[in-house]
Amino acid sequence: MSRYEVNSLLYRLKKDPDFRERFTRDAAAALAGADLTEAERAAFIARDMRAINELGGYLHLVMSIPGLAVH
Amino acid sequence: MGRLVFAGAMSHVLDPDYYDRACGALGRQKVVAAMAEIARMGERLSAQEPHALIVVADDHLNAFSFNCVPAMCVRIGRRVQRMAQDHAEAFDKVLDHMPTDYPLHEELANAILEQGVASGFDLALSWEAPVDHAFLSPVNTMHGARPIPPLVPIWVNAFVAPQPTARRCFAFGQHIARVVARSPWRVGIIATGGLSHFPELALPRVGETDTVFDRRLIHWMEAGEHGPLQELTADELHKSGSHEFLNWMVLLGAVTPARADVRYFGELPRINLAAVEWRL
Repeated sequence: MSRYEVNSLLYRLKKDPDFRERFTRDAAAALAGADLTEAERAAFIARDMRAINELGGYLHLVMSIPGLAVH
Repeated sequence: MGRLVFAGAMSHVLDPDYYDRACGALGRQKVVAAMAEIARMGERLSAQEPHALIVVADDHLNAFSFNCVPAMCVRIGRRVQRMAQDHAEAFDKVLDHMPTDYPLHEELANAILEQGVASGFDLALSWEAPVDHAFLSPVNTMHGARPIPPLVPIWVNAFVAPQPTARRCFAFGQHIARVVARSPWRVGIIATGGLSHFPELALPRVGETDTVFDRRLIHWMEAGEHGPLQELTADELHKSGSHEFLNWMVLLGAVTPARADVRYFGELPRINLAAVEWRL
C-alpha cells in the first residue's frame, strides 16, 4: 500500500483543477504514471472514495474533492 | 505586564447550510444556536480590547500535506490569507464569503516562536501557509462586522499520525501563557474543533459520535481537573473522534487551572457541537 501516492493523488485532485479535469475525462489515462497497487488504481478509476479511504486516503480529502467528494 | 483576557474553544464548521445538508433541519437549528453563543463570546472578547488573538487549530491537509506536516507550527509574518479552493465542497464551502486577508500580530508570534525554541519546543514556522475553516469560521463568527484583532495562527497536527501528545500540547500552552505574561499585551486565545466526530477517520463511521467521552472531557474542564486530560492517549482520541481536542489541550495549558463554563453543547449524529469559555 502506497499511502503517500494515494494521498498525493487525492491532494492533486482537490487542488489542481487541470488534473481533476483530465481525471474526470479519462481516469485511467490520468493515473498512467502513478505508483499505485492494482487495488488502489481500481478504486480511483471507480471513483470509490470509500475504498480509497480504506486504502489509506485521508478522510478530509475524500470528503472535499470538488465533484468527487462523498459527504 | 501582559495577560490573557479571554479564552474560549468551539466547534469550527459554523455553517447552517452544511449542517442542514448533513443532518437536516435539526442540524441547522443546533448550529445556529451554537453560533449565537459563539457570537456572544466574541462580544466579550472584543469588550476586552485585545491587542492580539491567538488561534490554535488544525490543518485539514490544505496548508500542510505532503511537503511537510509540522507537529506544531507558528504562523509568522504580517498578514495571512484565506485558503483558496475552487468549487469548494462540504466544510471548505464555509470560507466562500469570508474576507481573504487578515493582519497578524508579528511581535507576539515571533516571541512565542523564538522563546519556544529557546526553551525546548522545536516549533515549525511558516511565512506563507494559508488558513482554512478551522481558523476563519470561528474568528468571523465571533466578530461579525466588528474589526478582527491581529491574529497569531498556530497549527497542531491533529490528523496525520504520529500526532503530538496531549501532554506536550498542554505544555506548549503553558509556554504561551508565560510569553504573554512577559509581554505588554492583552491577548485572547481560542482553540477550535470538535467535539467528537469522524471516529478513526473512517468514512463508514461518519455520522457517529462518542457523547460519553465528550461528557468526561467537559466534566474535567468544568472542574479544572487537567491531570486526567494530559493522560489522554492518541488511541483514545482516534477511536472517539477527538483528534481536534489536541488544540483544546494547548488552550488548557495556557489557562490552567482555570475552570470552564459550557456555553453550548449540542449532540448531532455527525458531530457534538460545543462552545466553552474559561473563567480567567
